Amino acid sequence: MFQNRAEALALVLPAALFAAAVFLVPVVILLSDGFRDPTGGFSLAAYIEFFSSPLNQAVFLRTLKLGAMVTVVSAVIGYAAAFAIVGLTPTMKGRMTGLVVLPLMISPVARTYAWIVILGRTGIVNQAFQALGISDAPLRILFSETAIFIGLLQLFLPLMVISLISALENMPKDAVPAARVLGANWFQVFWKVILPLTREGLVIGGTLVFTGSLTAYITPAILGGSKVLMLETLMYQQVSVANNFVAASVIAFILIVMSFAANILLKRVATARNKVRSAK
Amino acid sequence: MNARSLFIPATLFLVLAFLIGPFLIIVAASFSAGETLAFPPQGFSLRWIAKVFTVDSFRASFAMSMFLAVGGTAAALVLGIPASYALSRYRLPGAEIVRTIVSLPIIVPGIIVGLALLRYVVVPFGVGITPALFLAHTALILPYAVRVVSASLDNLRSDIEEAAVLLGSSRMGAFFRVVMPNIKGGILSAFILGFVTSFNQVPVSLFLSGPGVRTLPVDMIAYMEIVFDPSVAALSSLLAFLSIGIVFAAERFLGFSRYV
Repeated sequence: MFQNRAEALALVLPAALFAAAVFLVPVVILLSDGFRDPTGGFSLAAYIEFFSSPLNQAVFLRTLKLGAMVTVVSAVIGYAAAFAIVGLTPTMKGRMTGLVVLPLMISPVARTYAWIVILGRTGIVNQAFQALGISDAPLRILFSETAIFIGLLQLFLPLMVISLISALENMPKDAVPAARVLGANWFQVFWKVILPLTREGLVIGGTLVFTGSLTAYITPAILGGSKVLMLETLMYQQVSVANNFVAASVIAFILIVMSFAANILLKRVATARNKVRSAK
Repeated sequence: MNARSLFIPATLFLVLAFLIGPFLIIVAASFSAGETLAFPPQGFSLRWIAKVFTVDSFRASFAMSMFLAVGGTAAALVLGIPASYALSRYRLPGAEIVRTIVSLPIIVPGIIVGLALLRYVVVPFGVGITPALFLAHTALILPYAVRVVSASLDNLRSDIEEAAVLLGSSRMGAFFRVVMPNIKGGILSAFILGFVTSFNQVPVSLFLSGPGVRTLPVDMIAYMEIVFDPSVAALSSLLAFLSIGIVFAAERFLGFSRYV
């Protein structure tokens, strides 16, 4: 450790001042816009107005609902996938993990665009449904909550699977056999042994998926269209169509509060895990 | 075969089909000979792959995205390497505050960063579109640069540079001749991570893009809203192969995943 404080400040200040000027100060001013009345005093009027609109309520609830659904479903699929991968030989495990991570390197625009080909009026799903006689006319799957849900799930599932793979690998090897020998069925093994032992991985993966879904822009913009909005697409509309910067500030604050809450939870769990590790 | 031995291959097949299938469909659709985006593709041709290179707006926005990704990452490293060094090697009061300020852009959604920058920096100070995008992308990459470089600095024992200083080297000389060669891999990994993050970024650039000046992904979204031909599919496949290639090369030669 070096002690020279002036030297340290000279090294750190350019980055800190840059981040403050380009990011921190503008964002703080933007957030404060929503809390001011026309005379400049403190007011919650913008928030009351925002939440009294049924459209905004619907968008807010839809965002929360989709975030929760994507998180829960990705946890269920994630556990199955992580179990399957952890049970493989080391070479296969590496390859399969690579394939799960692969989509993360592809542009989200390209990944979301693929769903237009699959879910569109003449897409594969509609072709199959009509060929099988499930429906006569093409179903409207695009520009709906279902389409956004599928898009978000595909976008964020890899994050859940990786978190759960490392959680399952860190689990004591003999915990599951021990529980089986003692007479637990598979449901009890999962509920009473695996879930508590992989809780941290689940929380980390869940937080990444949940915040990712809440703050997604590309997926609702492409798969939701201009009618089925989430908070980010509503914010974009408020600025570019309605020119309502106060409403945009309110939405920004809601999004930031939700991301921070999830992030604090993530940090809590991560430090709790470090404590357990160092106690061993 | 009993139920359990079927479980593993069946699960893996379904999950991978869901994760990778759509991408394969996009690749197949980009070789279509037909006029509209469709799967299964109608015939085989390279016309849409060829068309991508002739669309003027794609060429301009690709150049813009490359400039932002390379320039923004370079700028973020110029700011981030000294900061990471100070955070890991000096006893600095307020180190936590600096770390938080520098890493906040990861947590705050990009669309908010873009709007805040537009309203309170770009408009009041009359910043042009290109410099504004450059500032935004640099701020966005900075947290990744600091995180990856800090991680490789923390893995490097600090007594080797103390030894260099004791043996008469200047602090600067010790950094460039002893520390830099040892964190080369980390810096390159930070560069690749920053490049990919910036190149794929959409929300930050939304409000900052102006008439005729757009990043490539924003341009792709605008194009697909108007034209329903396979050229966006072709472009998506080309970009995907490009970034997969870069990351694979990085993993092979640098052990990328150790740093990220």
